[in-house]
Parts: sequence; structure tokens; C-alpha cells
Amino acid sequence: MKKNSLTPEQKQKMRRERSFKIYWKVTAIFLAALLFVGVYLIFHKDKDYSETENRMLAQKPVFSLANVASGKFMTDMESYVTDQFFARDWQISLKLFEDSLLGKRESNGVYIGKKDQLMEIPDTKDYPYVEDNLEAIRDFAGRQSGVNTVMTLVPNAAYICDQLLPANAPVRDQGEDIERAKNVVSSSVNFVDVTETLKSHKEEYIYYRTDHHWTSLGAKYTFEALADSLGIPNPAQSYTVYPVTHDFSGTLSAKSGYDKARDIIDIYVPEGMDTSCVVNYVDEQKKSASIYSSKDLEERDKYEVFFGGNYSRIDISRANEEKKNLLLIKDSYANCFVQFLLPYYRNIIIIDPRYYYDDIDKLVHDNEITDVLFLYNVNTFMEDNSLADVLAAEDGEQ
Amino acid sequence: MIFSSIFFLFVFLPITLILYYIVPRKLKNLMLLLCSLIFYAWGEPVYVFLMLFSIVFNYLSGLEMNTYIENEDEKRLKFCFYMTVVVNLGILGFFKYYGFLVENLNVLLPFDIPYKELPLPIGISFYTFQTLSYIIDVYKGRVAVQKNFVSFGAYVTMFPQLIAGPIVRYADIEKQLAVRTLSWYRFGEGVTWFLRGLGKKVLLANNIGAAYEAIAAMAVGERSVVTAWVGALAFAMQIYFDFGGYSDMAVGLGKMFGFDFVRNFNYPYTAKSITDFWRRWHISLGTWFREYVYIPLGGNRVSALKHVRNILIVWMLTGFWHGATWNFIFWGLYYGLLLILEKFVLARFLEKLPGIIQQIYTFVLVLFGWVFFFSPTMKDAAAYLGNMFGINGSGLVDSMGLYYLAGNLILLLICIICSRPFPWKLFHRATMKKGWAPSIAAAAFYGAVLILSVAYLVNATYNPFLYFRF
Repeated sequence: MKKNSLTPEQKQKMRRERSFKIYWKVTAIFLAALLFVGVYLIFHKDKDYSETENRMLAQKPVFSLANVASGKFMTDMESYVTDQFFARDWQISLKLFEDSLLGKRESNGVYIGKKDQLMEIPDTKDYPYVEDNLEAIRDFAGRQSGVNTVMTLVPNAAYICDQLLPANAPVRDQGEDIERAKNVVSSSVNFVDVTETLKSHKEEYIYYRTDHHWTSLGAKYTFEALADSLGIPNPAQSYTVYPVTHDFSGTLSAKSGYDKARDIIDIYVPEGMDTSCVVNYVDEQKKSASIYSSKDLEERDKYEVFFGGNYSRIDISRANEEKKNLLLIKDSYANCFVQFLLPYYRNIIIIDPRYYYDDIDKLVHDNEITDVLFLYNVNTFMEDNSLADVLAAEDGEQ
Repeated sequence: MIFSSIFFLFVFLPITLILYYIVPRKLKNLMLLLCSLIFYAWGEPVYVFLMLFSIVFNYLSGLEMNTYIENEDEKRLKFCFYMTVVVNLGILGFFKYYGFLVENLNVLLPFDIPYKELPLPIGISFYTFQTLSYIIDVYKGRVAVQKNFVSFGAYVTMFPQLIAGPIVRYADIEKQLAVRTLSWYRFGEGVTWFLRGLGKKVLLANNIGAAYEAIAAMAVGERSVVTAWVGALAFAMQIYFDFGGYSDMAVGLGKMFGFDFVRNFNYPYTAKSITDFWRRWHISLGTWFREYVYIPLGGNRVSALKHVRNILIVWMLTGFWHGATWNFIFWGLYYGLLLILEKFVLARFLEKLPGIIQQIYTFVLVLFGWVFFFSPTMKDAAAYLGNMFGINGSGLVDSMGLYYLAGNLILLLICIICSRPFPWKLFHRATMKKGWAPSIAAAAFYGAVLILSVAYLVNATYNPFLYFRF
């Protein structure tokens, strides 16, 4: 029977039949999905914690009239159901897969670069505290006569490893930020620009793929570039490298949800040099015989293998013949840098201004500091709002 | 509560469906009313009382008007009608336009009237227009009064169309409130509508919206011509798939509960003129204004001058309905002027052009319209339009523009393709073929849309704690 021999009514009937063949199947899938998830939501055991997101998941909200009237109960309920949803981690991976199919190359403030390289997107805005911080550093260095003050700002992966950026991805010109810093402080500070040094090694493993920190290798190249300014005439020529973990998944992986690569953390021990020391966490009143914290290799943030994280003040004292005492004012980029400094000082005092509130002028004086090093990465330095306060001269001095 | 959320899809909807289908026919409207009130109260635990007031008030007004009609008391009928309209518009005006009014008065007056901005009750613009359609039609004798409070309440609150339309006129749904058929056929049809809408909203609108937001947040000087056009295009696609997707979900949910709503969008970006565009975009709103403002003013059956006046009034109001800022008023008037221009001058020339040119002409004008729509102020709109022509921006093309273009090219192409009728026609033709395979392919497609969308919905609370920020 030919198609066009059908009457309009017969055609209509056939269309309905064919439509219904689709409709009942779609309905079956849809209702099965609702039923499955419904049963799951009723009978599954609530999870407390998400490993992937490193946070407590929302729990069943408490019903009360006040909570209902304010709407809190409803929003909490929605978060609860979404947080406890079936195969949540899998759903998140699926979403990222969909994003990549659609050609998206950033996720939650992180660039998904080539070769699984994740890079924090440096903010494009102006930062309100930079000028104050820089002037405070300049004035601080000016007050310490006879002390060699060195400063460097380490550019971030997105600026150095431009070959791994997504095509045309806009990146803040950190070279400008560094130039500006140099201009403000250079009258009293020996500012070393390490951009070129790092750029010449940009094909090497100098930044973690999954974390916003640089690797020990990146720190080593920077140390070699700084040695001269720090008055270290014969820095170590060779190191024994110990990979302490092959299973590091850092902040950028957590932030973007993109979890493809794993990083290696290396520690560098200079050959033929003594690096024994006593590490004193001053405020915590804790002592240790090593700058490494091996128990943190079992934790999620394995970068904390260096000193176990950030502390307000750490004193490292060494039994050697060196005469120099270093004050290191820094952010977490410096944590893996200290391993290169160890052999050349008698004492190293590490201050993290974000957590430190005491008088630094006095600290320099009392501890016979000979060298001061400011070491920050550009991103953190631009955002820092604590340096100017910590470095300000105490009343009555000067 | 929005449809595109895990809670709606997997908790509210199944419970409501079960309750609705197990109660006897007589109680279905009541069940729908109760569930809809919970749906509304979920997002507006306080303003739900405002909506309840509106329902009771309009229900009683309808009854009162009916007695006057039966008694042929013209005077009282008229008075009651105008009072009801004034109260309805007064409530809408107070919550939506009061702040705008005072703000502008304060600019003109030598003293300041203090005011506190109230949060806008969700959906008030939609349900006010729905109740007005009832009141006006009762007054005009076009529909019978609704004596059943539950049916009237169910009409106003019906959750599928409560918060974002379509604006269902009472006349269109009067019969369905009394009698409607529930069938697996209709339910299944509803599911396909719903899933198509969900996909449009979650997969297309939300994703392309991210590009628009990034570009809109840039400073004027940072936008190159390419960036500005990508941003405007992204917004055009976002608002169409967002609103269109939501309307599709509403139609689909309506069908699951046995209702047929009017179609709200009909491939608006294939329109061949601005006149045509507004027959395809937010159809239920255009119909409302035509029925209840334009035609009562005399429509086009008046002198040319009055005709122009009518168009301008309708379009100013259409713009103002979208929001209480000068931008929206301007946006409305922009369309009013374009429509007048087309009607009296351009139509003759446009007709002679090839179809594709007509479509491009329309789309570009619509794009300029969106700039007024999405900009926070008229100044921002002017600056953005300037950027689209290279004024005060960062040149014709820069790496930022290329980055956004390349990063969203696939998505933009998918959006453009999906905004045209042919993919749906192809899909429809292919899946309606004889045999078992086509229907399975269709079902697999809808299943995939569901799974892919749910992944995005779950991701809404993805919120890693960055313990180690520094």
C-alpha cells in the first residue's frame, strides 16, 4: 500500500502510533530515573565528607517554623539533596567531560592548559594594597643599615609557561607588576627579576601540573639566580634528588575539578654539604630535626611536606661555621626554597607576615640578621594585605 | 524552586505526580492547587500570602461582577471592574515599580522621598496578568464566571507556568479546568517537551551564559569588536534557550498534568522582520497585550496617527513589564519604533529581499535590542553598542576576543543550529520512520539529554574547599 493512498485520518492515526512508540519509551526511561533516584535518596546512607571537594557535605536540614519562614530550610534542603545525589563524583567528572567537548578551557578560575597543565588565572583587577606594601618594604630596608636586603617576585605558571596556555588565553602581564615593584623598592633593596631565568626553563617541570606552586626544580633555578645577590659565592653544584611522592594532586585540581594528572614532589639535598639543623616553630613551641614533614605525604596537600605548611615564625639554627643570619619574609612559594638556603647560614628566621604580629626591626637587631630576603609569588604578593602593617616602624624608633 | 534543579526533578515532581494521579478525579484540582502553593512557598514563604490574597480577591470580584451582570447593573459592574483592575495593577505597581517611581521623583523634586527597595515577589508579573485576563474577560462577557474557588486557585497558581509563564489566558484553559483527559500519550508527549526544555536550559543556555557574563563584566576599554559581538550573540542565545527552554518545560509539565498550554516561542531567530519576530517571541505576552491593550485602544482600525500612538503605548508597556528601569522602557519603544517603521515604510522593500537577508536584518536589530535589555543602565548600553562598532574598545580583534570566540565556537554553532527548525525536522522525520530502531534512537537521545543535564545540576553545589589557598 502506497503512503499517499492513506486518508488524512489514517495518516493522523499512523503518526500517533509512531509518536507513541517514542513517548512510552521516553516515559519509561524518565519514570525509571525518577524512581531509581527516589529509592536511592530514601535508602542510601548520607555521606559526611567529600574527598574530592575536601569539605563536609550538606546534611538533612532541621525543620522549624523559623527556618521555613526565612527560607533557610528550603535552600538547605536543596543543597542536601544535591550534595547527597547518586554518584556525585561521577556526575562532576561527567560535567567536566561535557565542558571539554564544548571546547571550554577554563573551570572555576583555572585554565586547563595543554598537556594537562592547570594554571591559576591571575586576576586582571587592580590591587589596593600593593603600593603600600612596596613602600613599606623600601622603608624597612632603608632602616636596616648594614643589612643586605634582596627581593624577588616569582611569576606564576600562566605567565611563564605560555606555551601550555589555551590558545589566546588572556593573562595578566606579571612582567609589569614586577617592573613596578622593582621601581618602587630598588633605592634600598636589591631586586632580582627571575622572569628570564624561569622562562629559559619553561619547557621543564618547574611548576606543578595540578597545584599553584612551583616545583623544587623551579626553586633551584631561582636560587642559582639569586645566589650572587645573597652573597653566596660557591653554591652547591650538584644535588641528590629524592622523589618523595608520585601521587600529588594539588589545589588547582581540586578547584577546577579536573583530575587527570598526578604530580611528583622532589626534594633536593646538596651533595657534600651538611644540612643538619634544628627547626623551631616558635609560636607552636614545637621542635623538629628536619625541614621536611613526612607525615604530610599521607595527607591530601602533599606540598606541606615542606615545613608542614605556613607558620608565623620558624627559626632554623645550625651548628656550623657560617657567620651569616638570614631573615626570610615570604609566602608558601618559599617553603620549598629553604632547602637550597640551608648550607649557607648559621641561622635562618622565616616570617610569614600573614600570621606574624611582632616588631620586625627588633627581630633583625636582636638576631644579628645580616641578610633579608623577600620571596613571594606574584599572585599572592598582589593580594597580600599584611606586609605593610608588619613592616611599619614601631612608634618611638627611627 | 526552579525546574532545572535536582530537588525539583527528583523530589518535588515525583511526589506531586504520585499525589496527583492517585487522588480521584474530583480532587485533582485541589491537589494541584496545594502542590502549587507549596511550590511557590518554597521560594517565597512570605509572599505566598500575597498571592493567596490576590486569588481570593479576584475570585470574589469575579463573583460580584457576575451578580451585576445577571442584574444588568451596568454602573456597579463598571465600578467593580475598574476597582479590581486598579487593585491588581496597584499591587504589581507597588512591588515592582514603586522604587523606580520614587527614584525618578527624587531626581525631579527638591526633597527626597525615603523608600526601601522591596524584593520582587517571584512571578508576580505573570500571575497578575493571568488574573487580569480573567477579570477582563468576565467583564466583557467572553467567559463565564468561575464559581469554584479551587478551580480558580488552581488556574492562578498552577506551578508549571507560575513563575515564568507562559501567560495562560483564562479563556484558553477554562474548559480544561473542568474536564481534561489524562493519558499515557499525553504524558509521554509532556516528558519529551520537558526534556527538550531541560536540555535547552541546562546544556545550552547556562553554558553560553557563562561567556556572556565574562564579557559583560569586562571594562569598556577591554572589549574589542569581536569580543562585543561574541558577548551579544552569547546573550541572545542564552536568553532564548533559557526562556524558551523554561517555556518548553512548562508546556511539558502541563501535559503531564493534562493541560495544553499555548506555545510560547516559535523559532524567533528565524523571523524575517521585527513584526514577525514578535509573533514568534514570548507569544503569550504579545497575545495578552494585543487582546487587552492594543485592540481595546482601537488597534489598527483607527487613523494612522492613533495607530502609531497605540503601537507606542503597547510597546512602552511591554518594555516596562520586563523590568522597572529606563532601559526596558527604551527597549520597548525601540521595538515600537521599528514596528512603525516597518509598517509604514520598510515592509515593501523588505519583502523583495532574499529570505536570508531578511533574517539577518531582523537578527542584528534584535541583537542591538538585547544590548539595552542586558545593560544595567542606558550609559552602559551606549558604551557596549560603541564597543560593537569599535568605539572606545580594544580594536577590531584582540587575543581576548579570539579566546572567547574559540572557547565558545562549538557551543555558539550548536545554539545557532538549534535555534532553527531544520534539526528538529530532521530528528522528527528520522525517528518517526517505520520499524523499531528509530523510536529506540529517539528514546536514547532523550535519555542522554537527561543524564547530561543532571550532571550539570549536581555540579551546582560543586564547591571545593581550598584549605591551602596560599
